[in-house]
Amino acid sequence: MMRFFTESRVALLLLRKLSLRHWRTSWGSYLVLIAIVSIGVGAFSGIRQAIRAASANFSLFNEAVSGRSDFLIRSAQGPISSHDLESLAAVAASPDWHLVPVIESSVALLDESGAARQQLRLIGLDLLSLGNLPNFLERNFDISEGSGDWWSALGPSDQVWITHSLARGAGLAKDDRIEIVFGGLLRTITVAGILGGPADNLPEDLMIADLPSVQSWAKRPAELNRIEVVVADTNQRANRDFLAAIEARIQAQLPDGYRLEPAAEQAAKRASMTEAFRLNLVILSLIAMLVAAYLILQALDAAVVRRRHEIATLKSLGLSARVLFALSLLEASLIGLLGSIGGLAVGHLLALGAVHLLADTVNTLYFATSTQAIQLSAQDCWIGLSLGMCFSLLAGWLPARDAMQTPPAQILARGDWSPGFAWLRRPQIGLSLLALGGLALLIPPPQLAGGAKMALGGFLAAGCWIFAGALLSGQVLTRLARLLQPLSPRVVWRIAVSRLADGSSRHRLAVAGLVVAVSMVTGMFQMVGSFRGTIEVWFDVRFQADLYVSERGVTSQGNVNGITPEVLQSLSMVPELAFMDALYIEQVEGPIGVTTLAGADFSIWEEGRVEQIWLSPPGTFTEIEGAEPAYVSETFARRFNVMDGGIVELSTTTGPRQVAVMGIFADYGNEFGAAVVDVPVWQEWTQRQRPINTTLYLQPDVTVNTVRDRLRLEYPGLDFRNSQELRTLALGIFNDTFRVTAALNGIGITVAFIGLLLGLMAIFEESAQTWRTLKQLGISYKQLLLTAGIEGAGIALAAYISGTLMGLALGAILIKVINVQSFGWSLLWQLPLGSFALLGLMMVTTGFICGVGTAAWWHKKK
Amino acid sequence: MHMWRILIILYTLAFNSLWAELEWIQPPAYTDKGYRVPQPDYQPNLPKDLGAHPDYAIEWWYWVGHLEAIDSDESFGFQSTVFRLAGDPQQLDASDDAHFGRNQLYMSHLALSDISQQRYTHAERIVRNGWQANAAEQGLQISAGPISAHWNKPAQAIEMQLNYPGDTHLTMTMTPRKPMLIFGERGLSRKGADPAAVSWYWTYSRLDVTGTLTRGDTTIALQGMAWMDHEISSSQLGGDLDGWDWTAIHLDNGTELKAYRLRRPNGGSDPWSAVYWIDAQGQHHSVYAEGFKWKTVSTWTSPHTGLRYPTEVKILATNPTSRKLETYHLRPKLDDQEFTGNASSNAYWEGACDVFDAQGKRIGQAYLELAGYGDGLRGKLN
Repeated sequence: MMRFFTESRVALLLLRKLSLRHWRTSWGSYLVLIAIVSIGVGAFSGIRQAIRAASANFSLFNEAVSGRSDFLIRSAQGPISSHDLESLAAVAASPDWHLVPVIESSVALLDESGAARQQLRLIGLDLLSLGNLPNFLERNFDISEGSGDWWSALGPSDQVWITHSLARGAGLAKDDRIEIVFGGLLRTITVAGILGGPADNLPEDLMIADLPSVQSWAKRPAELNRIEVVVADTNQRANRDFLAAIEARIQAQLPDGYRLEPAAEQAAKRASMTEAFRLNLVILSLIAMLVAAYLILQALDAAVVRRRHEIATLKSLGLSARVLFALSLLEASLIGLLGSIGGLAVGHLLALGAVHLLADTVNTLYFATSTQAIQLSAQDCWIGLSLGMCFSLLAGWLPARDAMQTPPAQILARGDWSPGFAWLRRPQIGLSLLALGGLALLIPPPQLAGGAKMALGGFLAAGCWIFAGALLSGQVLTRLARLLQPLSPRVVWRIAVSRLADGSSRHRLAVAGLVVAVSMVTGMFQMVGSFRGTIEVWFDVRFQADLYVSERGVTSQGNVNGITPEVLQSLSMVPELAFMDALYIEQVEGPIGVTTLAGADFSIWEEGRVEQIWLSPPGTFTEIEGAEPAYVSETFARRFNVMDGGIVELSTTTGPRQVAVMGIFADYGNEFGAAVVDVPVWQEWTQRQRPINTTLYLQPDVTVNTVRDRLRLEYPGLDFRNSQELRTLALGIFNDTFRVTAALNGIGITVAFIGLLLGLMAIFEESAQTWRTLKQLGISYKQLLLTAGIEGAGIALAAYISGTLMGLALGAILIKVINVQSFGWSLLWQLPLGSFALLGLMMVTTGFICGVGTAAWWHKKK
Repeated sequence: MHMWRILIILYTLAFNSLWAELEWIQPPAYTDKGYRVPQPDYQPNLPKDLGAHPDYAIEWWYWVGHLEAIDSDESFGFQSTVFRLAGDPQQLDASDDAHFGRNQLYMSHLALSDISQQRYTHAERIVRNGWQANAAEQGLQISAGPISAHWNKPAQAIEMQLNYPGDTHLTMTMTPRKPMLIFGERGLSRKGADPAAVSWYWTYSRLDVTGTLTRGDTTIALQGMAWMDHEISSSQLGGDLDGWDWTAIHLDNGTELKAYRLRRPNGGSDPWSAVYWIDAQGQHHSVYAEGFKWKTVSTWTSPHTGLRYPTEVKILATNPTSRKLETYHLRPKLDDQEFTGNASSNAYWEGACDVFDAQGKRIGQAYLELAGYGDGLRGKLN
């Protein structure tokens, strides 16, 4: 024990006297290294924070105002409505809980020109009862703002209350009159008051109004989205027995036909819907950290090389190998610690930038959500610090071992000893990893809580192959150099190429770091490119209507009011109309997780008047007695295992219903899948009447845009788009969806290039003797720069070739395995050759510039 | 919202004796805002008039009582009040949303004092006319959040259900033992100089109570007595008042006493403060501020709000019938009977007390209400 303490003290002393002295002399390099770790940790931490803030509504929108809900009351007979409240009055009589009826809706806030400026959540709550709720009271919310009469707090029925952050963001104030589009109709409403203050962290797209007002505006009389139950004694929420007792009491009082479910189930359901999306992003965000680990390895290894003489002297003075090992690891930890601290700050900034993009994506693809302020939690800090430290320690392990094994006599006598990393020279390890990755692909995907599948085998294979690519890239480097050697025309080429052909550990590490980034980036290029290409093909086939009609300004998946039957009826009377195809959707529970029950006019589909990309066209499967015929999306079929036909039971608001698969079509809307039944069936099952959108097929020889312009004037609350406009909109959404992915790719490749720079600096440092000899032999400064530039470009080229090859394999995994397993989409594999070429050109150029820059720096220094 | 509660309690509690000081002023048919105004010489049509009067701005039903377990030594006090506030008078006749009405607002206050366990439970709910609250016009049929009450015609009694926090439910049958008292000249209780400032103020000063208290799986059979007020009005009070102390006393000799003092900022009592004696036949006699003294014996400081309440008091008054000076010494059965409701900013103390005479002999039970000990009600009333 004593020995341990003594050695620890020595290691700390050496860290201060030896390692940190080197830090002071090469502070720039270490600063860059710490910055790289910061970026790595920051990317991961930032994505975590942004996802959390962007998915604030795994729970419920009104939570910010009415407080956390503990249970939800549902009706087994159909959608819940105000009429159900009469049956529930006795349940509401207990002061141990509060029943909170809620109606949710989306509205578009218009700017002065009448264009949709922002999509907002309008929540209808019983404003008078809000004053009973613990959260409302604790946070000192006030809707009356000193009104003289109690009813004036409700005001006329055109009033809304907006959150402080919405007021600030949209520049709104109390008593402002604002234009909104609601349920396809234009409406002017008054801002009656501002809820909360800057510290309340209320969603920036939330407005509330009195519940009957919202029902009336939305023309959804008596309709409710849910009835929440909030326990009165919020201090006891953590007590499971207390909640169980409350649940049992409510259950006992609930009339027949109603059921109670913990609100956490709803939140978990929503969370599970985006689980695959979040997981994929988090994995992607680890690229930068992975690359950073290579760079730490590289930098610490270079540090060991530089300090070889010191290490040999210390060893000859009797310092134990263990202390040297500990010293190296301490240094790695210090880099990890400082980098992680910086990473938390970087992560916070990244999260601020990414949160809206992610929220838009969640809104578009999954469910209505709103953002909350980015908050760095203690858990974020611990995870960030642990990540940075672990990766740094792992990366520091090999240099530490190297330092430990330094033979003092050899170094002091001969002046150099550099064993390098033997594992970088052994292709067997890389090849084994390739094989292991192949085997991983055989692992069946485990199912996540929400029904989505986790492509575990795909991710493991991708990880193995990336490492394999990195390990084998050294072989590519030396072979490429040897290939180029006979073609080298001039002396500088020959010097540079021969250095590459030697393939030192430093060269191999530099290539390996780049390969990790390049393979990921090229893999993602293919996935995004293929996805986009597939969607474009799908668009061309699927969207051939003349006009597409939807609620104005509403693009999200949740809280859509839909088009009222009156408006739909009115649209059907448009004189130029040939026929109309309205789409009805509702989220329902499938056997595992949420899915979509859609309603469409089967006669139009069956007559082929609406085109689809059929994987199994109608007629492939036969009808099954007792089950409703349905056309299902590929995602649905894969998810519920009915690619070869069969029956799926769906839990609708009116009870369990069975659908029989009659055909399978391609659909890329979401990863939950959709089952389409005939409209009357859909209406019966859901007890709803409103389509989410409709398409208009006009008569031949009609000028589409003329009709569109006229209808826009006639229906100011609706969006009318021709197919080109819809395509532009959809591809815009697609691009937005992948913007964060692109940003993470950018971060990965930037870190890799910084790594290349550091690697080249280490290579120059290590090759000091060679350069001095060359200078003595008469090599000019210009030739030195050129040689270094060629060396840098060569490393980049080798990395590009290895990375691209590995990227192709990765692309295959992403498209053929991960996408199919996670999302149930078959994509057309497309190679974005232009992007590949551009990346190669950029890499080789940047490699060359890095080489030249490093040589200039080295020359100046020496 | 709490402002309203304060206003209502204050104005409904107070000025029943004003008629004695003022000349008769004929009230108008409607207030300036358009609410109907109670008219003189109205004889309540019972039991119909126990129901709601939605055309009038304010109405409240108030019950307090003392209960004892039949099969044990346990004893309880209860308080329950339902306030009704009418909405915009111009819209009262308009059709209202059946579930989320805008025409009537209800506030429920209920409290239970468990004397044996020295535990006080209370709750407040604000609910609008609709699925959670309504009050029939044709008779007593009120439901307002955790409180419900109706007139049982065959039994000639009020049936009441109070739902307290903690899975505690009090079910009672309350049978009036004396005729309903009507306060004020020509049946109008005057509130001030404004001709419209009048109310119908009706009281059952003694109701026999039987009932059960259910706590989880345990049920306790109870009996006892209660007091009920029902007041209807349409006019608000102003005034330079800090608050009020009010009590309803059930004496063991079968009579009752109602006393209140309206506190002025200087600590003195407003001249409209009064004491009422209600004899065994239901006749009442009164003296006003100069005819009685309200003395603080001891105070209690709330650990919840930090407010200090004079919870032990002596009322010294000369009974106009017997001409004797009588002492009513009120001592709380439980110190902590502070009603903080949804928000503690308008807390008040209202609780069960024992009543002793000058010799220290227990002569009855009382409910004592002490309001306006926070920031004072001054400002809020102007």
